[in-house]
Amino acid sequence: MSIDVQPVVRTLTQDQLNAYADASGDHNPIHIDPQFAAATPFGGTIAHGMLVLALIGEMLYAAHGDAWLASGKLKVRFKAPTRPGDTVTASAELSKDAGGTREYAVQCVSQHGEVLIEGRATVAA
Amino acid sequence: MTSPVPTSISVFPRGHEFPETTFTLTDERVSAYLRATGDGNPYGAAVPPLCAVALALNALQEQIALPEGSLHTGQEVEHSAPVPMGEPLRLTGRIAQRSERQGFVISVIEFEVSSASRLAVRARTTIMAPGAPA
Repeated sequence: MSIDVQPVVRTLTQDQLNAYADASGDHNPIHIDPQFAAATPFGGTIAHGMLVLALIGEMLYAAHGDAWLASGKLKVRFKAPTRPGDTVTASAELSKDAGGTREYAVQCVSQHGEVLIEGRATVAA
Repeated sequence: MTSPVPTSISVFPRGHEFPETTFTLTDERVSAYLRATGDGNPYGAAVPPLCAVALALNALQEQIALPEGSLHTGQEVEHSAPVPMGEPLRLTGRIAQRSERQGFVISVIEFEVSSASRLAVRARTTIMAPGAPA
């Protein structure tokens, strides 16, 4: 069976970071306080890693549906910060399809081509 | 009654077990998560696994404080069953790994989210926090 994994592309905004902070309970000022964040090595606010990672979860659920909820595995590293205004593309490349399991190399990349998140995902096909 | 003050993650040794806790992912909380992430998928009565992980981490933060300058550097998630919305979920967790490097403590929090009937999600979250002796 052919399963098409469509990339998810989204531009993150400060409003979205604020909404995610409220939804997740993670109010670390590095994500929501521009004045505080300006004085850190990042020079400004950065998105929650889990907010950016959510694009990969969204993409894989859209492709695999309930199989993703019942059998999905995801292992990633957060490689670089995502800033408000960045347009993030989450994508997956099939690396193995055998024994009833599909394995993907997954990543999130900024509009500048910077890898923000990379790792792998597996799901029962 | 006062809530316990969270302890900095850099203090917990490898093998530390956090007291078991419960939390519930209501439709309201999941809807807020989906609006914030922009995820328009139809999950029905299930909770997106990464929503469960994010809110489990929030529940653990009643016990774990993240010092200023902490970074979330890695995440593993393994789903074994859909996470049910609106049901009490059991959360168990521990410090699975701990190491020190250049003034930072790198801790791996391993935790499981289970419904009344079965394990739903197992996760490992890597946090790099300032605080190790120089």
